[in-house]
This record gives sequence, structure tokens and C-alpha cells, in this order.
Amino acid sequence: MDERWRLSRRQILKGMAAAGALTTAELAWWDEPLIAPRRAWGAQPVRFQFSVPEPKRTALVESLAQRFNQSQKDFEVKVEFVPQAQARQKLITSIAAGTPPDVAQVWDNWVGEFDGMNAVEDLTPKVRDWSGYKDVLPLAWETVTVKKRILSFPWVVTNDGVYWRTDRAKEYGAKPPKDDWSFDDFLAYAKTMTKPDKNQYGFGMRGQGTWAVLYATEFMYANGAQVLGRDGKVAINSKEAAEALDWYLDLFRKHKVCPPSVPTDGWRGIVEGFGRGVTNSYIHNSGSSEEQKDFVKPENFATVPLPFGPAKKRSSFYFSETLTPFKAGKAREGGFKFMAWAMEPEPHFMYSKTLGLLPARKTVAERPEFTRDPALAGFIKSFPFSIVSPYLAHAGWGGKLDSEGVPLFQQALVGRLTAREFLDKFAEVLSKNMS
Amino acid sequence: MAREATLARPLARPLLTRRAREVLTGYLYLLPVVIALGATVVVPIVRAIQMSLYRNVLIKPQEYGFIGLGNYARLLDDDVFWLSLWNSFYWVFGSVSLQFLGGFVAALLLHQSFQGRAAVRTLTLLPWIIPGVVVALIWEYLYQPNYGALNDLLARAGLMTDKVAWLSNPSLAMPAVIATNVWRGVPFFAIMLLAGLQAIADELYEAARVDGAGVLERFWHITLPMLRPIIVVATATRIIWTFNYADLIFVMTSGGPANATQITSTYTLLQAYSNLDFGYAATLSVVLLLIMLAFTLLYLRVTRGVEPVA
Repeated sequence: MDERWRLSRRQILKGMAAAGALTTAELAWWDEPLIAPRRAWGAQPVRFQFSVPEPKRTALVESLAQRFNQSQKDFEVKVEFVPQAQARQKLITSIAAGTPPDVAQVWDNWVGEFDGMNAVEDLTPKVRDWSGYKDVLPLAWETVTVKKRILSFPWVVTNDGVYWRTDRAKEYGAKPPKDDWSFDDFLAYAKTMTKPDKNQYGFGMRGQGTWAVLYATEFMYANGAQVLGRDGKVAINSKEAAEALDWYLDLFRKHKVCPPSVPTDGWRGIVEGFGRGVTNSYIHNSGSSEEQKDFVKPENFATVPLPFGPAKKRSSFYFSETLTPFKAGKAREGGFKFMAWAMEPEPHFMYSKTLGLLPARKTVAERPEFTRDPALAGFIKSFPFSIVSPYLAHAGWGGKLDSEGVPLFQQALVGRLTAREFLDKFAEVLSKNMS
Repeated sequence: MAREATLARPLARPLLTRRAREVLTGYLYLLPVVIALGATVVVPIVRAIQMSLYRNVLIKPQEYGFIGLGNYARLLDDDVFWLSLWNSFYWVFGSVSLQFLGGFVAALLLHQSFQGRAAVRTLTLLPWIIPGVVVALIWEYLYQPNYGALNDLLARAGLMTDKVAWLSNPSLAMPAVIATNVWRGVPFFAIMLLAGLQAIADELYEAARVDGAGVLERFWHITLPMLRPIIVVATATRIIWTFNYADLIFVMTSGGPANATQITSTYTLLQAYSNLDFGYAATLSVVLLLIMLAFTLLYLRVTRGVEPVA
């Protein structure tokens, strides 16, 4: 087709608006800026890297950028979309080449690595002067603080909880998980909800990717284990950790309440497993709640905090999706203005709500859209005992969790290592890479 | 009046002889290729060798420095490297040998005349045309133990009672990814060998038939020797490609479970982009290059190059 005859979404919307066929009220929130005038000429471009797991995010972020561009005339944010799987790699290579974006959407566990590369700057004074500083949860600031310096804005936050099937629990007569449930209750639920003849399993355990190790660690914490001891040395190979891990691995190895695909199930595997009805529970952050509303329907699932362990403890690892500026960026002032704007109540609310993540700002998090949503209840109830992931303590641990921790964990899953052997080897990896 | 004599003035002696000019012109024609290959092949190799002699972990810029053969010494003690090397051989020879066999059979069949041959030949190319990442995603779905098509078909056919976790079982994961690679690579051999088959003169077969040679004898004494140059080039290039081919494994298993499908090229990626250890990743690349060079030389020597047998 001749390019001259193709209309962009912007042109179509403008045409419809001009024809009176469309009112602003009928437009999706993210389409509204597309019918407004563009920014003035001469604005300094701000490069913003965003990783895209789904089309909804693309539209949303494009809209945010447009809204920011229309809100002032000095800067123009240009979004550079990259596939999520390549986001970290792209950033690393661009940092090494001296051409990073001005701002990027970055997971908090990468921030320490970028600090190690001397690629990010200390934002502490600027952030403390920012009007919304005190409205952001202290724990959220903690996720982006490295060596007492704030390096990013915590855009949205979340923690881990358990998704479970309300409709099937009723159908199979399973005891519904309660907010204060225990390891035993968890196992009983998973057993009752496992129906191999129906191709259904009680629990979708994750065996692939960094969070496979993190979820297992949360169970170890519930039995009183710690990654780092009081002396600052690695203590993850403790007796408490080994007992809890053994129990956790047995869900797959002995009790067979997990699907056989566990050793290679990453986040997509566990989310789809639940969405397709193969598993009847899984652990994840609130980020998949919106997806499950489409897959399973809101009335058929709920979320609940992780169970108490034998030590009567429990934990949920808290993390953030950050907006991180880079030292070598060319538009640092524009980058900061964009980040501060994205943290303003309206864009902050729209971004969090659309993605099912929780806002870092207290006043936004208190809105009923978050507090009254049953799909988010398990996460909000987990805040009192949430902690920042202990693996953020050393920048060198980020990559090693993936390259060495996960293969070791998989060896334990398939029975090539005992829980104790895994933890000893894993502790050795962590000890060697403390930096 | 004195008549002026016209004297022939000697031509200025050229700076270069005719032969030298010809040689120089030839080299000038080659210059663009030399520059292009130098910039895209030689420089990166030299740079990788240089990088392999440095401690270069991106998150530890303060530790950057020359360490000589330190990375190579570390490699000797790295169990995962040795496992990945073993897996690489398994992956390469498993894939290429089966691709070759399948491709040969397909080429022989496609060489026969039958109705719709052109359409079948085009369809045969399909797996080769599809991008590697897409192939990986399709097969990952087929292998999915809970809702994948393969388990479902086997169960319906009564060949399976318990679900098989093709990619999640360490003993089955490598054969499963090899099977995918075989499916993808068969058309490459089929098309190459088919082109070779079509170039063999029919007279050779007729003469052999007149002399009383049977099907197997004609295959052994005519087809195979005539195809040898193509077989050597196709298998050598395919082996090199497969050694460096990480897409399928990266998408389907990420080298897991428990490093069961970790080959040296995926391990190199892991070192570079998970551990940000570019010095060590460069070392792995250099070792891979040396192995490939040694293999290619050995292969060409064993097969006596690509010259047809006299």
C-alpha cells in the first residue's frame, strides 16, 4: 500500500475528533493525548528505554510520554521500546559503549550492578527536594538505595503472594487458604487440589529464572533462615534453611503436587499454567493479577499472603520497578523532570492500576482501586512483613543468581543434589561474589 | 635548407613493469574485500583475544587489568565449561548427523519425478525459512508436558500413560532440542544435496546400468563420490553453524534444566550478560574459535578437501 495513503492512529483519532464523531470522554486514557497538539519545536530530546512485555504497556507508555511532552515545552521524551528479555543486555552494552539512554525502566536488582559499572548518579539531594519525596513508602526508597545513596525513583512496587482458585477449592472441598495459614495448610491445599486425571496440579512451582531461587528463599525465611548472618557472612546454608528447602522441594519431588514442567517453568510458565487451569495456585507478585482477571475471571481466584513456617515466621520479598537515569545521558535535567512527572498522582495511578502493580506513593496506594481489589488483597496484607530482597545486598549476586544459583536449584529439583548440598554450593557462590 | 630530422624520443620508462602493474591492479580489486573482512572478522577476533587476557567484569571496573592467561587457567577448573563442551559435541554431532541423513533421504526422494514435485520441494524448505526463535517457540509449545500437542497425541495413540516432561527432564532435554534442530536443518541438506544430484549426468548411471551395476552399487560408486564436494562443504559449514547456534537452546531451555542443555555458546552468553564477565566470555569465545579451527582443518584433511576424487 502506498505510504501516503496510510493513516496513523493519531491521524485517525484527529480526523474523528474533527468530524465530531468522537468525544474525549469516549477515548481510552492512553489515547487522549494523541488528539492534542504536539510539543513546540526546539525541545531537547530525552531518550527513555522501556521494555515491553505486552501491547497494553506500549500504548500506556507512549501515552505517558505524549502527556509529558504536552505538559511543558523544553523536553521531548522519545520512548525506545525493547523486548523485556533483552532490556538488561541492551542497557549493559549501551553503558559499555558510552551511549546509554537518559532514563530507563529498570528492575531494582539491576540498579546495584549499574552502580558497580559507575553508570548511575547519586540522586539523593535532588530527590529529597522533590515535592513527593515524603509520600513515597520508605521501603520503596530502600529498594533503590545503594550504599546510602538513592539512585532511582521506585516507580511501582510489589511483593510476593499466593494466587489460588476460589471456585475449584469449593468444588474439591479444599480448606480455603487463610491469611495466617501454615506450611501444613499449604501442603493440604496443594494435595486436595491435585487431580492428575484432570491434568490439574495443586501448586505451580517456579524452576527457571532468578525468582525460582527467591521464592524458595521466602520459604526458608519462614523457618527462621537468613541469607546473611549478623556478622555479615553468608548464612543461607543453615539447618533451618535446609529443612525448609527440603520441604519446599518435596512438593515437586515427593508429593507430586506440581506439574512435571517445573524445572523449566519461568514466570510465563507459572502464570500461563494457572491461567490455563493446569495449576490451582502459584506464587508471584501482583503483576499477573490483571492477566488472571482475563484468563480465570476475577470471581474465580484470590490472593493470600505466603504461609507461616514452623518458626512462626514468614516473609515476602519486596521489590520495585524503577525509573533510573544514567550519568552519561545527554538530557539529565529533562530525564529528572520526566521521572518526577511520572511519579505525580495521575500518571502514577494510571500506570500502576493498568499493570496490576502497587503504587510507591502512599496517597495513591490508599485509593479503593487498590485496597478493595480482592486480587490485590494478598499483597497488601503482606506489606507488614515484607522485606527488600536479601539478594540486593551485593551487586555481584544479581547475575550469579541466574547463572549459577538457578542451575544448582534445578539440580536439587531433579534430585541430583540434596537441599543441603545445594545450599552449601550456593553459599559458596554467594561468598565468592560479595562486593 | 637543412632538413630537420625527426628523431624518435624514447618513451619515459614506467615506474612499474607491466607485470607489477597487473599484480598491483589485481590486489587493488581485492582491497575492498580485505578491508571489509578485516573490519568485520579479523579485528573482532583480535579484539576478543586481547579481551580474553584482561580481567573485565563490567560491574567491577576498579578490578580491570591485564591478567595474562588467568582466564584460561580459570577455565581449566570450571566444571560447567567442561560439561558445556561435552554438551556442545553431543548437540553438534547429534544434530548434524541426523540432519545429514534426513536431508539425504529427502534429496533422493525429491530427485524422483512425481506429480506436484515443485510444490513438495517448496514445502520442504519451510522449516529452514522460519526464524530460529519462532521454531523454538513452536516446539516449546509442542513439548509442553501439561498442554502440549506431543503428549496429547501420544496419549491418544495409547503410547503413553504418564506425562513426559520433554524439556524439564535432564535426560530428555538434549535429545528433545536436537530433534527440533534436526527438523529445522534437514531442508538445508536436502536442497544442497538435491542440487548436487541434479548436476550428475544421467549418462553415468546409464553406463553403469549397462555394465550391470545395481542400485546400491550405482549409489556407492557414482552418487556418493560425485556428491562428495557438496557433502564436505555442507557438513563443515553446518557443524560450524551448529556449534555457534544458541537461539534454539536459549529460548527452549536457557541451558537447563541443571545445565543439561548448556552448550559452550549459551554458556558464553551467560557469562557475558548475566555475570557481565566479558573477559571470561571472550576467553570462551577464543577457545570455541580454536576448537572450530582445529576441527575444520582435521575435517578437511580426513575428507581430503573438496576436490573430486581422480
